Amino acid sequence: MQNKKGLYILITLGLVVLVLSVIGTGIGAVYIPPYEIISNLLGNDIGSNQLIIQNYRLPRIVIALLVGAGLSVSGAVLQGIIRNPLASPDVIGITKGAGLSAAIVIILFPKAPIFVLPVAAFLGAACIAILLYLLAYKNGVKPSTLSLVGIALGAICHAGIQYLMVKFPLEVNAALVWLTGSLWGKSWDDVWLLLPWILILLPVTIIMAVKLDILNLGDDVAEGLGERVEVMRMVLLFIAVGLAGSSVAIVGSLGFVGLIAPHIARRLVGNKHHLLLPVSALLGMVLVLIADMLARGLMPPVEIPAGIFTAVIGAPYFLYLLRKMQSTP
Amino acid sequence: MDNQYNKRKTKQFLVFAIGFSLLILSFFFSLSVGASSIDLGTIIHSLFLGEETQQSRIIQSLRLPRAIVGAIVGANLGIAGAIMQAITKNPLASPQIFGVNAGASLMVVIAVVLMPSFSPTNLIFFAFLGAALGGSIVYYMASTGGGMTPIKLALAGITVHMFLTAMIEGLIIFHEHSTEDILFWLAGAIDGRTWDHVQVILPWALIGIVGAMVFAKQLTILSLGDDMARGLGQKIALFRIVASVFVIILAGSSVAIAGPIGFIGLIIPHIVRKLVGVDYRVVIPASALLGAVLLVLSDVISRFISFPAESPVGIVTALIGGPFFLYLARKGGQ
Repeated sequence: MQNKKGLYILITLGLVVLVLSVIGTGIGAVYIPPYEIISNLLGNDIGSNQLIIQNYRLPRIVIALLVGAGLSVSGAVLQGIIRNPLASPDVIGITKGAGLSAAIVIILFPKAPIFVLPVAAFLGAACIAILLYLLAYKNGVKPSTLSLVGIALGAICHAGIQYLMVKFPLEVNAALVWLTGSLWGKSWDDVWLLLPWILILLPVTIIMAVKLDILNLGDDVAEGLGERVEVMRMVLLFIAVGLAGSSVAIVGSLGFVGLIAPHIARRLVGNKHHLLLPVSALLGMVLVLIADMLARGLMPPVEIPAGIFTAVIGAPYFLYLLRKMQSTP
Repeated sequence: MDNQYNKRKTKQFLVFAIGFSLLILSFFFSLSVGASSIDLGTIIHSLFLGEETQQSRIIQSLRLPRAIVGAIVGANLGIAGAIMQAITKNPLASPQIFGVNAGASLMVVIAVVLMPSFSPTNLIFFAFLGAALGGSIVYYMASTGGGMTPIKLALAGITVHMFLTAMIEGLIIFHEHSTEDILFWLAGAIDGRTWDHVQVILPWALIGIVGAMVFAKQLTILSLGDDMARGLGQKIALFRIVASVFVIILAGSSVAIAGPIGFIGLIIPHIVRKLVGVDYRVVIPASALLGAVLLVLSDVISRFISFPAESPVGIVTALIGGPFFLYLARKGGQ
C-alpha cells in the first residue's frame, strides 16, 4: 500500500520534472515554444533556435537536474546522520567552505583557467568536512556537536569571504553572483565535470538507504543491530559532502535546496530512505528548475541569481513546515 | 561564609579594576595607532589642553569618536548577549546567532538602497524593526516542538541568517554603485565614525544599559530557570518581552551604526560569568566593560591587517570569536 503510493508519487514527480525541463528550455531572452524543443530533441532541424537549445539551454537544464538531485540527497543524508530536520549542507558549513575557496580563486586569481574554480570549491568543501569531522570527534561524533561545529566553521569561513570581498572590491560582483548561486553561462563542460560525481554517488546513497533507516533508530539500537555506527556515519558524511561539494562547485552556494527538498519528500512518503532519497532528488530537481526558470525569465535579458529564488521559495516554506511539525526530535 | 563573600567581592572588584585599566590602555592604543602614529604626550596635550595642531585634529575629529563608538557598540553587544543568554538560558544565544544582527542588517540595507538620503538617526528605527523581526522568527522557530536546545537555536538561527543574507546579496547585486561601501559596512566596521554617530547611538545605549541594570535582579532569577522564577513570583512571559525590547535597542542601534559585528555578544558573557559568577547586577556592567575593551582592541588590531588601509573590525572579532565558538560547540553548547 505504502509502496504503491510511493510509486505513484515517483512517477508523478518524474513527469513534472520532464515537463518543467521542456518548458524551461524554452524560457529566456529568446522564447522557444515547447513543440519546437521536442521536435529538436527528436532530431529534427529547426533552424536558428537549434543553436540556442543545444549550446545554452540544454546544458543548463541538465546542470539544474544534477545539482537539484545532488544538493537535496546530500541534505536528506545529513538530516539522517545528524537526526535533525534542520541540517543541510549550507547549514553545517560545507557550502561556506566551498564559498571561501571559490572566493579566493575568483578574487585573488581572476585569470585562472575556468576549470580551476570548481576544483578549488570542491577542495574547500572537502577540507571543511575533514576539519568538521576532526573537531567534532570526541570518543565518536555526536550529531549535535557535528552541526554546532559546522556552524562555527561556517561562521569563520564567512568572515574570510567578507575580508576578501572588502579587500579586493573589483572582483566583488563576480564573487557575489557565485556566492548567491547561479546557473548562468553553464556549458556542457560543466555537465561533464559534475555528471560522474552524481552518477556514482547517487546510486551508492540509495543502496545505503537501509543504513540510514537503522541510524534513525538511534545509536544504541543501531549498535544493537550490529552496525558500526561511527564508521557508517563517517562514510555517509563524506558521501553527502561529495554530492553537495561537487554541486556547489559548479553553480555556487545555492541555498535551501538541501534543506527544503528532503522535508517535502518526508511529508510525501515518510521516513523510509529507499523512497525518501529518490523523491528528494526529484523534488530538488523541480526546485532548481523553477528557480532557474525564474532567474532567466523574470526580467530578460537580465539574469537574477537563482539562489535568490531558492531562498525566496525555500525560507517561507521552511517556516511553514516548522509550524506544522510540533514534535521535532 | 563571610570570608567567601569577601573573597568574591574582592575578585569582582579586581575584575572591574583590571577591566578599567584595559579600557584606558586600549583607548590609548586606539588614539595612538594608525596611518599617522601619535605619542602619549601629544595625546594628553590634545585631549586636555586643547592645542590646535594637525595631530590633535586627527585625535579629536577622527580617532576619539571612533574609539568612543567602538566602546559603546562593544558595551551594547556585550550586554545584549548577556541578557539573551539569561532569558533563554541558552549558552549560544547572542545577537548574531539569534538572527538579530542579520535582520537589522537587511532592513538597513533596504533603507540605504531604496532611500539613500536617510540619516543615521532614521536608520536606527529600521534596524530596530529588522532586529525585532529576525529575533522573533528565530525565537519562534527554535522553540517549536518543546524547549529550545542550543542545537535547535543554532540551526534555526543559521537558517534565518542564510535567508536574510541571500536577500541582502540580491539587493547588493542589483545596486552596483554603492556595493563597496555596503560590503564594508556588512563586515562590521567603525572606522570613519564621527561625533554625529556618537550622538545618535548614545541615548539608545543609555536606555539599554540603564534598563538592563534596573532589571538585573530579575535576569538573575530568570537565568536560574523558569520554575525557580515562577516560584519567586516573577511574571516570566512579560519580563521576557521587556528584556527582549532592551536587546533589540542595544543590538539594533549597534548594527545601524557599526554594521553586524559578530561574536562579541557570544563570548563576553561567557568570560564574564566565569570571572564574576551569575549575579546579573555584576554580570551586566562587567559585560559592558569587557565588551568595550574587546571591540576597541579589535579595532586597533584591524588597522594592522592591511596597514595603512582600513579593514573591517568584524573580521578581527570573527577571528577571535570563531575559535571560541568552536570551543563551545565541542562542549555541545553546554
